[in-house]
Amino acid sequence: MGKIISIHSFRGGTGKSNSTANLAALVALQDKRVGIVDTDIQSPGIHVLFGLDAKNMGKTINDFLHGKCEIGEVAYPVGDKAANSPGRSNLAGKKLWLFPSSIHGREIGQILREGYDVNLLNTGLQTLMKEFELDYLFIDTHPGLNEETLLSIAISDMLIIILRPDNQDFQGTAVTVDIARSLDVPKLLLMVNKAVPGYDYNDMKNQIEGAFNAQLAGIMPLNFELANNASKDLFAISTPNHEWSRELKKVADAILSAD
Amino acid sequence: MAGVFDRLQKEIDNKQKEGGITALDLANLPPALRRIMRLMLRQLQMNYPELCKAIEEMPEDQHLSRPDLDEALKTLSQQAWLIQIGKGEKAVYKVNLRRKAGSNLAGGIWSELDAKLKDNPDA
Repeated sequence: MGKIISIHSFRGGTGKSNSTANLAALVALQDKRVGIVDTDIQSPGIHVLFGLDAKNMGKTINDFLHGKCEIGEVAYPVGDKAANSPGRSNLAGKKLWLFPSSIHGREIGQILREGYDVNLLNTGLQTLMKEFELDYLFIDTHPGLNEETLLSIAISDMLIIILRPDNQDFQGTAVTVDIARSLDVPKLLLMVNKAVPGYDYNDMKNQIEGAFNAQLAGIMPLNFELANNASKDLFAISTPNHEWSRELKKVADAILSAD
Repeated sequence: MAGVFDRLQKEIDNKQKEGGITALDLANLPPALRRIMRLMLRQLQMNYPELCKAIEEMPEDQHLSRPDLDEALKTLSQQAWLIQIGKGEKAVYKVNLRRKAGSNLAGGIWSELDAKLKDNPDA
């Protein structure tokens, strides 16, 4: 059975979607069958990293939740269509599928207004694991704690929490760690993003691992090159020798080496 | 045969409307019940023999005796957190998650938003 990896941050702006897209791509490059589901229904964004926009997006998670299509119809085959940027072109032929959420305001509003069947969302996630014979399913969650985020955590084999070296993030991460432990998530990893260069990263690692009693798999530095990329491409794939990319590769290795 | 499946599906649908568990409720369950629910969340649906086998295959410290498993299944079914179809060895269990409620914002806000978005076909 494949593994479900939820990527979460308590607060917004941590680089969660960017990191998720790059992690999934790094794992797919190891010839694994990988899916990415955007359960950030209220504020979807990960599709941008794969060159999708409102005009070229097909069926979405919203369509599935409204009974308009099967979950398999939502799949966007990144490996078949991604050869249009330096980073994504490396994914040609790889088994990587994106299951995007709608970027149309009306469809986002409909979900917020009417709610949705959580059983159906869970059934969809488990079905696509089987139908696509996935080794890994990455779930890009909404920041903070809401229904789909808690469901994602509850069904996960691994939870990766992204935080910035910031006291607000530290307190929020403590909440998420508590919830994850009370839901018996088998494996918990932390990663720091947007760390200010010049800090003693070893000291930071020791402090964070001590505070949360969990493995810190990578510390990604704050940098202008990534900001300049502006989600136009998969930075860790197009620029593999950058420090940010090398640190993210460590997280991907931790995912691949987990039991 | 389609009639039988339709009736079963209708029975499941009716029971699902009666309530269900939220992911946050899972965190407050006793460990044995939570273990069963986590298993069911991944498997979606299992019959009694499959459940017994899955519990036996868990690490030794997570095993449940048959009476404890039966008691746990009874509790979960009574709460409508699991839907039970059939009885005894032939029972089939399905997880029942509570529907996510819609927003409590006044209806007028949504109509106004809808009207504005309809003016923009790309939205």
